[in-house]
Amino acid sequence: MSIQGIVLIDLMALGLIFLILNLVRTKKLHVAYAVIWFLVVIGLMIIISVPPLLALLPKVVGAIFPASALSLLAFVFIFLVLIFFSVQLSAISARQVELAQALALKELLAQEEQAKPRSSIQG
Amino acid sequence: MGRGVLIVIPAYNEAETITSVIRELRQIAPEFDRVIVNDCSSDATGEVVTELGEKQLRLPCNLGYGQALQTGLKYALLRGYDIVVSMDADGQHRPEDVPRLVEALQDSGADMVIGSRFCNGSPYNTPLNRRLGQLLFSQLTRLLLGRRIYDTSSGFKALRAEVCQVIVSGTFMDFHIETIVQLSLSNFKIIEVPITVRERTFGHSMHSFASIFQYPLKTILLTIVAFMDAFLLRRVR
Repeated sequence: MSIQGIVLIDLMALGLIFLILNLVRTKKLHVAYAVIWFLVVIGLMIIISVPPLLALLPKVVGAIFPASALSLLAFVFIFLVLIFFSVQLSAISARQVELAQALALKELLAQEEQAKPRSSIQG
Repeated sequence: MGRGVLIVIPAYNEAETITSVIRELRQIAPEFDRVIVNDCSSDATGEVVTELGEKQLRLPCNLGYGQALQTGLKYALLRGYDIVVSMDADGQHRPEDVPRLVEALQDSGADMVIGSRFCNGSPYNTPLNRRLGQLLFSQLTRLLLGRRIYDTSSGFKALRAEVCQVIVSGTFMDFHIETIVQLSLSNFKIIEVPITVRERTFGHSMHSFASIFQYPLKTILLTIVAFMDAFLLRRVR
């Protein structure tokens, strides 16, 4: 890859790092997720900026061009991230269900507790 | 000593039918307690149930049939009921069948009794797609359990507290075939009792066009999970 290309990608990566940090600062991104994206961007910067690593990558994954190897890695990464997010989403859904059920149960149990003394006085 | 029988009725937008269901239950099965699980209805279901003075579990957001029923089962366990009967709020299930299901549960020593629309050749008109789905799931029980359950999607069931305990802690969707497979493989005894159902007079079925594809896929997936779960648990034991 040309020096111009490496500089351009590194600048974009630095922009992404700034974006990630700013999202954490403004509390729009949880730090646990920021770490994932931070590591990915840093990893990408290292692979792009070190030519021997970029040359090694297609050999490792069995691709002809470095761009194909990067695309494959990106696809695998996105796939894994989506599974991770699905797991997170499922956990949040499960918590929401539990909270909704607990709220409904608490309300009825409280109503029954309130009704108890009244009925015993009447009885 | 338990508290007897609790009828759990999950309801979502059933303001038109819930009154008659409750009144009929009061007449026909007054000895059984009832709780309505209002699954965040957008119509007047909640108000109607309150006016009737019935116990109501009000869910703050719509969770769907399975989770609504699960809420009712949790309530039954908290209050120490021995037996739970689940029935629909749309008026299709006949209240006179409730005592029959309870008796069948007590007399047979079963852990769960399914009010079956299809066993013993009970006549019940369903659309072709649901009929085919029913046949598929019915045959699936034969394949996985070695015996056929004719009505895997019935919402009319009587369950013992031990079964409720398993259900509230498991991964279930609608308490249909996946529940039957899990419970059967966990050595719970399940029987079917023939029932007849009435046609829906108000509202419409929850089955949308999307659910024609979504429901079987979800159910098959959960059934495989239930099968895996029971198989792995057996190996651990």
